[in-house]
Parts: sequence; C-alpha cells; structure tokens
Amino acid sequence: MKQKLTSSVQITLLLAVAAVGLTGHSHPGKPKIIRCRSLEKETFSCWWKPGSDGGLPTSYTLFYSKDSEEDIYECPDYQTSGPNSCYFDKNHTTPWTTYNITVMAMNEIGSNRSDPQYVDVTSIVQPDAPVNFSLEKQTSTSMKYLWAKWSPPPLSDVSSNSHVYHYELRLKPEEKEEWETISVGVQTQYKLIGLQAGVKYVVQVRCRLDLGEWSEWSSEKHIQIPNGESLPEKPTIIKCRSPEKETFTCWWKPGADGGHPTNHTLLYTKEGEEQVYECPDYRTAGPNSCYFNKKYTSFWTIYNITVKATNEMGSKVSDPHYVDVTYIVQPDPPVNVTLELKKSINRKPYLVLTWSPPPLADVRSGWLTLEYELRLKPEEGEEWETIFVGQQTQYRMFSLNPGKKYIIQIHCKPDHHGSWSEWSSEKYIQIPTDFRVKDMVVWIIVGVLSSLICLIMSWTMVLKGYRMIAFILPPVPGPKIKGIDTHLLETGKSEELLSALGCHGFPPTSDCEELLIEYLEVEDSEDQQLMSSHGNGHPSKNAKMILKETDSDSGRGSCDSPSLLSEKCRESHALPSTLQRQDLRDIQENKRGKRSWETQCIASEQKILLFNNESTKSSTWPAAQLPNNQPPVFAYHSTVDAPKITLGTTNVNIAPVLVGNEEKHQSQYPITETVYDGMEKQREMENLHSKTDQTTVQVKQSRPNDKSPFLNPKLMDYVEVHKVRQDEEPAVVLKHKENSGKTEKYTVPGTSKEYTKVSTVVDHNILVLMPDSRTQHTSVSQEPAMETSWNIQQSQAEKNMSYCLTVPSECKREASGSEYMDPSSFMPSFK
Amino acid sequence: MAPARAAGRAGAAAALALLWLLVCAPRNAGSRLLTVADLFDRVIRHSGRIHSLSTALYAELEKHFPPRDNELGKPARKCHTSGMLTPNGKEYAQKIPREELTHLILKLLQAWKEPLSHFNQHIEHHQELPDDSLSKAKQISNMVHELKTGVEKVTEKMQSMGIISNSLNGMASSEATGLSISNEANMMSDSDFIHCFRRDSNKVQSYLKILKCRIMPESSC
Repeated sequence: MKQKLTSSVQITLLLAVAAVGLTGHSHPGKPKIIRCRSLEKETFSCWWKPGSDGGLPTSYTLFYSKDSEEDIYECPDYQTSGPNSCYFDKNHTTPWTTYNITVMAMNEIGSNRSDPQYVDVTSIVQPDAPVNFSLEKQTSTSMKYLWAKWSPPPLSDVSSNSHVYHYELRLKPEEKEEWETISVGVQTQYKLIGLQAGVKYVVQVRCRLDLGEWSEWSSEKHIQIPNGESLPEKPTIIKCRSPEKETFTCWWKPGADGGHPTNHTLLYTKEGEEQVYECPDYRTAGPNSCYFNKKYTSFWTIYNITVKATNEMGSKVSDPHYVDVTYIVQPDPPVNVTLELKKSINRKPYLVLTWSPPPLADVRSGWLTLEYELRLKPEEGEEWETIFVGQQTQYRMFSLNPGKKYIIQIHCKPDHHGSWSEWSSEKYIQIPTDFRVKDMVVWIIVGVLSSLICLIMSWTMVLKGYRMIAFILPPVPGPKIKGIDTHLLETGKSEELLSALGCHGFPPTSDCEELLIEYLEVEDSEDQQLMSSHGNGHPSKNAKMILKETDSDSGRGSCDSPSLLSEKCRESHALPSTLQRQDLRDIQENKRGKRSWETQCIASEQKILLFNNESTKSSTWPAAQLPNNQPPVFAYHSTVDAPKITLGTTNVNIAPVLVGNEEKHQSQYPITETVYDGMEKQREMENLHSKTDQTTVQVKQSRPNDKSPFLNPKLMDYVEVHKVRQDEEPAVVLKHKENSGKTEKYTVPGTSKEYTKVSTVVDHNILVLMPDSRTQHTSVSQEPAMETSWNIQQSQAEKNMSYCLTVPSECKREASGSEYMDPSSFMPSFK
Repeated sequence: MAPARAAGRAGAAAALALLWLLVCAPRNAGSRLLTVADLFDRVIRHSGRIHSLSTALYAELEKHFPPRDNELGKPARKCHTSGMLTPNGKEYAQKIPREELTHLILKLLQAWKEPLSHFNQHIEHHQELPDDSLSKAKQISNMVHELKTGVEKVTEKMQSMGIISNSLNGMASSEATGLSISNEANMMSDSDFIHCFRRDSNKVQSYLKILKCRIMPESSC
C-alpha cells in the first residue's frame, strides 16, 4: 500500500512538473474538512470542502488512521453521504477511537493535503431533525388543544432503526419573539393545551440521542387557534373623502371575523339630529365602503359615522368618525396635462404647461375652486422643485436647463380647505440643447480674433506709420508748390489749406481724378519769362469733327477705363522729357512769335467769348487734329496770375507722337481768371469757397451729362494734368483727353511769383490756380478778361445760384457782383 | 351698564365704518366702473381671507383650550346660526333664487356681527391667549363688517343693473332675527364659537362663488 502510494505520488509529481512546464496549470488547492458527524454513534460521515482545482479535473481521496494503529486507510464509501463526503459504516466505525483524517486533492500536476482532523465518534453525534411533523386542531366547546405529531429522523441504515430519541417542542404566538419550550420525552406526539383563542401559533420539534447534541429544529408549523367567543373584532374607519365636494365615500377596515361570517353596517348621525341613518350605498365604492351620493351629502354638517361588525355571536362598533364634508374634499389629480416647448422671441425655449381640472370637479359652478401646484425635477435629480400655480390651468416655465429631461407632475386642492390630490402621472419633457450657447461661443471667438487682428493691424500701422498707410492708401499728392501760403497755415482754415494743397477742389469721387492730380506739378524758377508756346497755324478744318466727337469720348469716359489709365501712367512718365523739349521750343517760338503772355491772355479771353459763337466753326479755336482722329478736347485752363506758369494740354495717348508736330498743332488757349490787384484776401477766399462748392455741385451735375446727348459738345473735358518737370521753366501741362493730337501749352515766363494755390477744378473742366496774394500781378489782360467774365457772370448769375447748393450765401455774394471771375460761369458761356 | 355697552358698540361700529370708508372709499371713488364681477371677486377673496383667519384662530384656540371631548365633532356643539335654513349642497345652492341667496349671505353676516364683537371683548380677558390670536379675532370682526358692506354694495349694484330684483329690501329689514339668535352664541365655548364662525364663513364664501357663477357664468367659472 505504501509503495503503491509513493509510486503514485512520484508519478503524479512527474506529471505535475510536465504539466506546469507546458500549460501553466497548477496543482489543486488545499481541501478542508468541514465537519464530521454521527447520526446515531454507530456510523459517521465526514464532509470536506474542495480547494481550487488548479484548472484541471481533480480527484479527492480521504485517508484516515486510527490512534491505535499506524496504517493509513482510504475512505470506504464516497457515495452514501453525498458529494465530497465519506461515509464510515458500522464496520469502519469504532467507538472510543480517535480518527486522524486527511483529504488529499490530486490532479495531473500535483496534489495537496488538508489539515488533519481528529474525530472521536461519540463526541460528534447529532441526529437529524424529526420528520412528518404535524399539528392537529382539536376543538371542543369546553377546551381547545392541539395535537402535535412527528416521526424520528430517518437513517440510511434501515436495519439499525432502534435508537431512542428524546424530543423537544417549542411554540410561540406568531407575532412574539420568545419561544416557549416543552420537553416531550421519547414519545412522538404531544398534546398542547392552554393556548390562547384567536392567536396564531408557530410550533417546532427537535430530537437527540441520550448523548450528543440536539438536532436542528424541524420546519415551522403555523396554526390559528380559533376564537372561542367568536365576537367580531372592532372595525376601523380608515378615511372619508369627497372627490368633488358633492358626494363622499367612507372606507373601513374590518377586524377579525371571529370564525363566523360577519356583517358590517355603517351608521351615521348628522349634527343636530338624533336619528341614526344607515349607509345608503355599500356597493358603489367597492367592498368595505359606503358611498353617500348628493342626496345624502350635506355640507356644513358634521357626520358622526360608525361601523358595526356583526356575527352570530354579537357585534362590535368602531370608534366614531366625525366628518365635515367641506374639509374632506380631496380631488382627483388634474388631467390632460400637456407640455409644450415654445420659443420666445430671443429663441430661448420655454415650457408651456396646460392641464384640465379633474373631470369630476365642477369648477364652473363656483362650488369648488381648485388651486394647483406643480413639481418638477431633472430625470436624474433627487429633489423636486415645487411651484404653486394658483387657480390658473396653465403655467410657463422659462428657467429650464437645456439638454435636460424633466419630470413634471401636477396636483390640485380646493382653496381654503380640503387636501391635495394625488400627483398626476409623470410627464417627461426633453429640453433641447440651446444652440445659441454654441453660437455665442463661436461668435465670441470670432469677435476676439477679429479684434485681435484689428489691434495688431493698428499697432503695426502705428509702428510703420506712413509706409503702411502709403501701402494701403496711396498718398494723394497735392501739387508741390513751393511757398505755401504761410498765412493760410497760420489762420488755420483747413478748407483753404486743403484747397491750397489742391486736393479739395477736385472731384473727389473718382480715382481718375486722383490719378490726374498726381501728375500736376508746378515748379517755379526765378528767371522764367513768360512764354507761351503754341502752334502757329491752327488748322481749323477739323473743327467740325471735333465738335461731333467731343462727347463720345469724354475724358471721364476714358479715365474710367483702367487700361487707358495705366497707359496714361506710362506715358505720363515718358512725357516730361518730351515736354521739356517742347517747352523749350515753345519758349523760343514764343519769343519768335512775339507774343507775350498777356496778349495771349487777352486773345484767349476773347477767344472764349468768341467760342460761344464760333466754336462751331472752330475758326479761332486752336485745335489740331492728329492722324488718328482723336476728337479734340479743349483744355480749359484758367490762371489767376500766372505769368510763369506754362500750361499745356497734351493728349496723353499721342504725346510722344506729337513731339514732332507740336509746333504746328499746339495752340494757346489760356483762360485767365482775372484777379485784381490788391484784392482782398478774404474775398478771394470767399470766392474760392464758392468756387469749390460750385465745383462739387457741378461735378455732380455734370456726371449724368457725360452721357447725355444734350451735352454741349463744346464743353471741354479737362482730363489730365501732367506734371512737367522742367528745370528752366515751370510749366503745368494740361492734357486734353480728347484733344486730337493737340497740345496746348503755356509757358509762362516766371517772375518771382509763387503759385500757391490750386483752388479748384470746376466742373472737371477748369483748373483754378490761385496765386499767392502777396505776389499778385495785374496782368495786362485783366480788364478785358474781367469784362468778359463779368458779363458772363451776370448773365449766368441765376445759374450760379442754382449751382451753389452747399454754400448759398457765398454764392449770392458772388452773384451779386464779385469781382472774381467764377470759373463755373464760363461753362454756361460755352453753351 | 347696558346703555354704555350699546354706546361702545355703536362707537366700535362707527370706527369700523370709518375704517371701511378709509380703506375702500378712495378705491370706490376711483372705480365707478368696477364691474359686478370685480366686486364679486373682491368679496369672495375677502371671505376667503376671513375663512383662513378663522381656521388659524380655531387651531390656536384648540391648542390653548383642549376640548373636553377629544374628537372633532362634539355632539354638543350647536351653532347659533344652525337654525337658519341654508342650502347644504351645490344643487340646493344653485336652485335657490338669487335674491334669496343674496339675502342669506347678508343674513349670515349680520348674524355674526354682534356675536363677534362680544367675542372680542370676551376673549381679551384670556391672559393666556397670545396677542396674535386676539388680533386675529379683532381682524375677523372687522373683516366681517367690511364683507357685509361689500356684499351690500354688490347687491345694490346688481339691483341697479336689474340682475336681481329689489324684493331683497323687504327681507333685509328682518335682520333683527340675527340679534335673537346671537344670544345663543354667548353660551358656546370659544373654540366652538370660532368653529361655527369658520363654518359660516365658508358658507358665505361658497354662496358668493355660486352666486357669482350663476350671474356671470363667463367670468372664470
């Protein structure tokens, strides 16, 4: 046996090593012997609890040795006492012997042994509980008792069923805690007496052998001891309630019936009356209730209600219940509860709750007035928020958390008395997520970013200053005029200053004009002579064509064309040298032609006058036609006192081509704005104002005229002013857009006069240059020119008035005899 | 003694009338256009307040003078107004002619005017009662006066508008009956007294509501 054991152990150990190496399974856990017990001290059983199986099928082996022997035996019977047990039958059980018992668990990998358990059979005796326990009621009129019967516990070994057991009973009333224990002896039945009638008892039995322990208690047996008197118990009135303040119902709870069929009657008296009434209706409101319909319901009266339970033995009456129906009104819950989400104007959702009073309640009669209360909570919330609503049947809720689901209930109550109804059924509403929050976040981010960008930009602007500004907004160069009137600066009249800088009077609405201004540069030099260059002969054969085509290709129109503009830009850069040469030639020509500027002025003024009549014939108009047939345009140039200024009109497009022809084609066309000597500066300014104002007005007016077929073809478009850099003679070259190859040019022999102001460009035809008041000259041509202009002015006084929209007062002054020639007044004269 | 008491009563009544005037006269002056419905709403609210006050006072009295019987409805309790035949259910109240219902309301109020004044004087001797209860009792007494004036005003208005007939005038003269039953009131315990009053104030309120909804079914009925 030992050898066998050791060999098997070795094998299992080997197996275990192999298995562990391969799979990671382990040997079984340690089993534990739970108890050993003998039912009758002739046999006994041991039970163990297996340990962990190590993931493999495990077999358990029980080994035992007796204290007197050294041999180790294995369990004789694993079956009888169930799984994980070992049954020692009579043959293997020896009294007065101590058994040393161990359990070994084995699997493929290894084995594990329990701790040894030492067992003395006599000390582990405990029988099973008795079986077949029963109670029997024995009722007689005089006495009541119970027969309790049972059987001794069964044994597996039927043959040895000769043991003597001692029994014990215990009992108690059902509701009590303490048991009463009765020693029965060896008999298997017992008569229980002295039990209380009407009480329900619990009874149990157990047994033991003459030695050893008591068995477990048997299962509980319950028995109701019948009530001897059989009087019904006192019923209890639970409550009375009126659902609509018109009828009411009372409910009661019956007591024990006493073993006899029992009748319940509800009796009541009304306040101030002696008569006892019985319930009019036991049925309508269900069992154990009484319904009082309208007829039986009085208000402001106290009902004294009792319920009587009656059986054959007698009757018992409940405690009285006093009812004033007014104060037991408890309505049904409100119905038709609807939840509706609405959006307010600011898109915030709000909840509209509506409900109806319970259908039973007749609120329209005024008899019952209901007040409502609602409660709500988020679905996952714990606490209800309760809102008293009053008598209205709708409610608006505004402060709900978006994205949450709410549970809402409503109940109602009569005003001033009664009690709250049950809560209505739960209503759920999902408050939609407020998208505005997200929107707001987005907008806030956008706002912050953009403001940041603005900040950075303005910061760089400040740092980089001009460069940035110049980059973004190219500078609008005024004419560089040396010797800006310091008086003007001192007096600080900004408008004058602006106009002096030449940027005010220009029609401000078109880029074209800005561009044009760019090319106006006026310089002076000390020793310039008044020179004017012009073509000797002015072929007037093309005059008709000029007149026809003037309008069709106005300067403005071409200005608006970007390609042209760029072209002009290029050409204008190329121009100065050419012009320089031209001017030089012009000077010489002038000298040769022996025309003084003054005379030219006179001549030109006369020409203006003549122009009114003769322009159609173009006899005197100095216009030249180029081979490319560009329509001529009149450069309209007025100088106040510009002996040193050379004005010329050059068609940009043809300027380089013109060079050769200029001598022929150039014509002088000076229009002099006459200024008197000793002219008061203020008046000058006033005039200036009026002119500028007129300019703007006229620009507006002339715009539509651009395309107007009625535009007088004689109107001259003053298209471009080229700046001419000339060391020798300062010159302003005015370019005619439409001038077909004709370049008109003034070379004004300079004295020491400084030309300080470009007062305005009037009606985008006339550039008005204002002389420095200090250095004004009286030109020879002044008087005739003045006459001319005066006449024109007078004739046009009314028209001027209409032009002067912005500064009417100035206009009036001018109209009423200003000594200045208003450039604008020329315009009508051309018509 | 009796004349002095009467004088005192008269003085109290005058004071109350003055109070009523002070409280309500400006409103009346500025509200010639008050509709009957408005007036009804006012008297109904007023009666509701009276009822609430009496409920509170009743609870306080019960606390200070526990009833000998520990139950709510002692059979011995008998109100001095219980002799008056008043409708004790909705349908009766709806069937009774408007004039009669109006008259009943006025009668009920009238029946409580004097007993309440007595009660006020009487209750002041109870040192153990809190001031709050005393002021409640006083307030109730004043408000009953006001309510009666208010109901009379509504009645007048209804009569002038032809809503109810003028037959009420004859009935109103029989107010003296109120005095005869008011003596019974003196026999009651304080809490019984207030209990009875509370009940009648509830009656008045219910009748007013019924009356209003009968006359103007469209206005929040």
